[in-house]
Amino acid sequence: MSSRSRGVFIQIVVLLAALVGALLIGAVFLILAKSDPLKAYGVMFTGPISDKFGITETLVRTVPLLLVGLGIVISFRSGIINIGAEGQILAGAIGAAAVAVSLPDMPAVLLLPLVFLAGGLSGAVWGGIAGWLKARLAVNEILSTVMLNQIALQLYLFLIRGPLIDPKEVSYGTGVPQTASIPQQIWLSRLIPGTRLHSGLIFALLLAVLVYFFLWRTSIGYRMRAVGAGPEAARYAGIKVEWYLILAMALAGGMAGLAGAVEVTGVHHRAIEGISAGYGFSGIVAALFGRLHPLGTIPAAVLFGALLLGADMMQRAVNIPAAMVMVIQGLVVLFVVSSDYFLKNPSFLTHLKAKIFGQKVDGEGGK
Amino acid sequence: MEGVMNSAIIISILATGIRLATPYLLAALGEMFTQRSGVYNLGVEGIMMMGAFAGFFATLHLGSPLLGIIASLIIGALMGLLMALVSVTFKAEQGISGIGLYMFGWGLSGLLYRLYVGGITSIDGLKEVKIPLLSNIPFLGPIFFNQNILVYTALALVPLSGFILYKTSWGLNVRAVGNKPEAADTLGVNVVRIRYECLIVGSMLAGLAGAFLTIGQANMYADNITAGRGFIAIALVYFGRWSPWGILLGSLLFSMADSFQSMVQVLGINFPYELAVILPYVVTIVALAISFGRVWAPAALGKPFQRGTRG
Amino acid sequence: MKKVLTLMLAVFTLLAFTAGCGTNTTDASKTAETAPQAKAEKVRIALVLPATVDDLAWCQSMVEGLKAVQKTMGEDKVEVVTSEKLGSAVDAGAAIRQYATQGYDIIIAHGSQYQSVLMDIAKDFPKTTFAYGSGFETAPNIFAYDPQAQDGGYLLGMLAAMTTKSGIVGIVGPVESGDAVKFNSGVQQGVAKGKADVKTRIAYTGSFNDIVGAGNLAKTQMSAGADILTGSSQQAVGAMRAVAENKGKYWLSTDMDQSSVAPDTVLAAQAYNWEKVVTKIIDLRKQGILGGQHLTLTFADGTIELKYNEKLADKIPAEAKAAVEQAKQDIISGKLKVELPKK
Repeated sequence: MSSRSRGVFIQIVVLLAALVGALLIGAVFLILAKSDPLKAYGVMFTGPISDKFGITETLVRTVPLLLVGLGIVISFRSGIINIGAEGQILAGAIGAAAVAVSLPDMPAVLLLPLVFLAGGLSGAVWGGIAGWLKARLAVNEILSTVMLNQIALQLYLFLIRGPLIDPKEVSYGTGVPQTASIPQQIWLSRLIPGTRLHSGLIFALLLAVLVYFFLWRTSIGYRMRAVGAGPEAARYAGIKVEWYLILAMALAGGMAGLAGAVEVTGVHHRAIEGISAGYGFSGIVAALFGRLHPLGTIPAAVLFGALLLGADMMQRAVNIPAAMVMVIQGLVVLFVVSSDYFLKNPSFLTHLKAKIFGQKVDGEGGK
Repeated sequence: MEGVMNSAIIISILATGIRLATPYLLAALGEMFTQRSGVYNLGVEGIMMMGAFAGFFATLHLGSPLLGIIASLIIGALMGLLMALVSVTFKAEQGISGIGLYMFGWGLSGLLYRLYVGGITSIDGLKEVKIPLLSNIPFLGPIFFNQNILVYTALALVPLSGFILYKTSWGLNVRAVGNKPEAADTLGVNVVRIRYECLIVGSMLAGLAGAFLTIGQANMYADNITAGRGFIAIALVYFGRWSPWGILLGSLLFSMADSFQSMVQVLGINFPYELAVILPYVVTIVALAISFGRVWAPAALGKPFQRGTRG
Repeated sequence: MKKVLTLMLAVFTLLAFTAGCGTNTTDASKTAETAPQAKAEKVRIALVLPATVDDLAWCQSMVEGLKAVQKTMGEDKVEVVTSEKLGSAVDAGAAIRQYATQGYDIIIAHGSQYQSVLMDIAKDFPKTTFAYGSGFETAPNIFAYDPQAQDGGYLLGMLAAMTTKSGIVGIVGPVESGDAVKFNSGVQQGVAKGKADVKTRIAYTGSFNDIVGAGNLAKTQMSAGADILTGSSQQAVGAMRAVAENKGKYWLSTDMDQSSVAPDTVLAAQAYNWEKVVTKIIDLRKQGILGGQHLTLTFADGTIELKYNEKLADKIPAEAKAAVEQAKQDIISGKLKVELPKK
């Protein structure tokens, strides 16, 4: 076993231990809720992977998590903390839906790219505002993105209940806040019939690779990471820090906006209330699980998608209050993020390696 | 429409504004201490929910809102201890720890409510306490001196926090730990201990802010009762540039805008209500963008302390 | 290397163990699937809720309705399972599909936001009956139910106009859409009809579930003069509780009768009788009609009821009650039609 794969193995062992720790604490609450922890966890872990339904539903959640996560990777790597993905998803969803419903007769080859462009741009503008505020006026991005989330939510509700409401909702008098259904030719195709898994997954995976190349193989990406690593040093090196901050937030917002566009074209086929579904926050978690690496975010998004689904299935299988789902998610996040400590602690790692691989670890060659 | 802004209406807007500012003020002052010591705690929202539940539950079963306040402080302290364990001892990334704490607090408060209360139940919360003489001052009396005890507490905490932060040796240590933890450490300040203390104090105040929602305002509990107020409180810390008076200003500005938009709607002044609802958020951003320029943050904010390493 | 093997073995044992648990549950659900065929007369209903089962509003009213159905038809004849807090249509979709796969006969998705999700799923389960509301769009196996909230709002508005002493009726709305708009518009028209110079003041919190915000908005309404208030959705209980703090201020509730929580405050309620709606869906299904109908909830068939709080009966002037009853009859007979806002 090479030392590199051994390192990965150790990482996985520590992460698993953290997961077990979270579940043990969670079990206490499950017992409080008068349900059988073994049965509950059995459902939570096997539900999402035991059949076609579970796997496809997991991947349905993976798509927006991955897209949002990629945006988070870009912004965090550039030294900007973007908590505004919820609002950026909404901006993207409404931009995509607005373009889609206003051009019903355009062929898909033209309309679909246009719709994605609209979604991405709307999100980019919404994210870019926070970037511009930070770069030009030194407004802290945590503050501005939190505020912009609330503003986006209200504007979104206004648009789907006002100017963009489905005309049928008005004529029937039901007035449900949602846009008209988008033209059928741009509904993303379902990868497996009878499930909701749509081709947005392929799009998201390709984008992950693209983001990787962008950040590590292009000079713009290099400069963005330089800004993230140390803005002052980057400035000395002649990098226009302000410009790259705006770009980073615009790209992050664009990714979240694309997530919105994908949810509209792939899942709901219109813009509806509550379309962001907390992905803006879970996406941050997925990106951090993925160690802020575009490719690492892929398995992290799958894992987190499965966790979201599994915990939700648990509610139905063992009949516990929905709040339990959040408790377990919170515990998993707390434990996994704490486990980082052990991964960064050299003496602990040496000790663990010695335990697992025997004593002669240090003497072994690298390859 | 009868949009005459007579003095009764203005008094109502201002008195409501003070009341609305209270949870922000409490939570943001707490977060200020936390951030001053170099830790940002994004879990305020979750702690507030736990505090809201604890305050409600104790009041329901013990019949006294004062015991509710104590319960919320205890629960707040425990949540702070948890956050300190994760973010100080285990040096976990603070932003994500906070989000984890937020999820945990939201879930646990909802779960406990369902298990031990269930169904909408109302309680007798805190009553307004008229301060003798002062409450009779025309105009100012009904605005400032006819509120419940937590409102007074929050207002009193502003100068008190300022005093603690700038005039006591503990406050000096907190600021040192937040700016130059290595230097503070060399001078014999226990960085870890200070950060634990700040997280616990900050979280107690967040718990109290939550209790204000249940026993000081709603007199009942419902899922997600904080509705994003904890995140606003964090934003207000930045807005107030980590100073108690700045935070007071921000909380009041935000809440007055909110109170004003409610009254504008109620009086039927023709104005799309979404724009009215987003007004406080826009006001906060704009105020921050035009008035201050570069904000000053604790230099070590967000960076876990590792003895013997730099930065 | 031996230790690696030991560890791997341990991990695999753990995996096998958890997988074992999973298999057990799958077995259990499979037995559950075959059960209804053995006992065909049992109706299995699954309910999917956007908020909590105990919101004292829209969701709880349906939960109580289903309990009533169980009580009337017998616990052994009707099985009910519930998933709550599925505000996101993605999670709701997973729940609905899972219930459909598990062979539930009737799946009620109790929210207007579930329309698209149902249209998508229902095609794959042609033998299952789906229902959602408020809405109008149906499919061969989808019922849409649609409370005529404006009718109840109208009656409550009349009642308010003829009872108020300050001449101001306040509405604490959530978000200006759907049922809230229907209800508010009904109240507005009812107030105008009840007494010409009484004003209706509508304000929105911008949130469906912020009870603290609703309480504050209610306080603002009262300080600006409103003495009778009403409002809809989950947030409304917060407003009701704020009204209960003040003597001489009253509340009119919608969706369900909220007087149990504030017996000295709730004057009257527009309550939906979901028992009748669900019973109708069960009956239609027995006749082989799996969907395709737009079921309106009206006073005419008793699916909307006007309930008075006996304890506060003396607070309502006799002529107000008489006028409201007359208007109710006119609505039932079709003589009076409450208009909906057309934008």
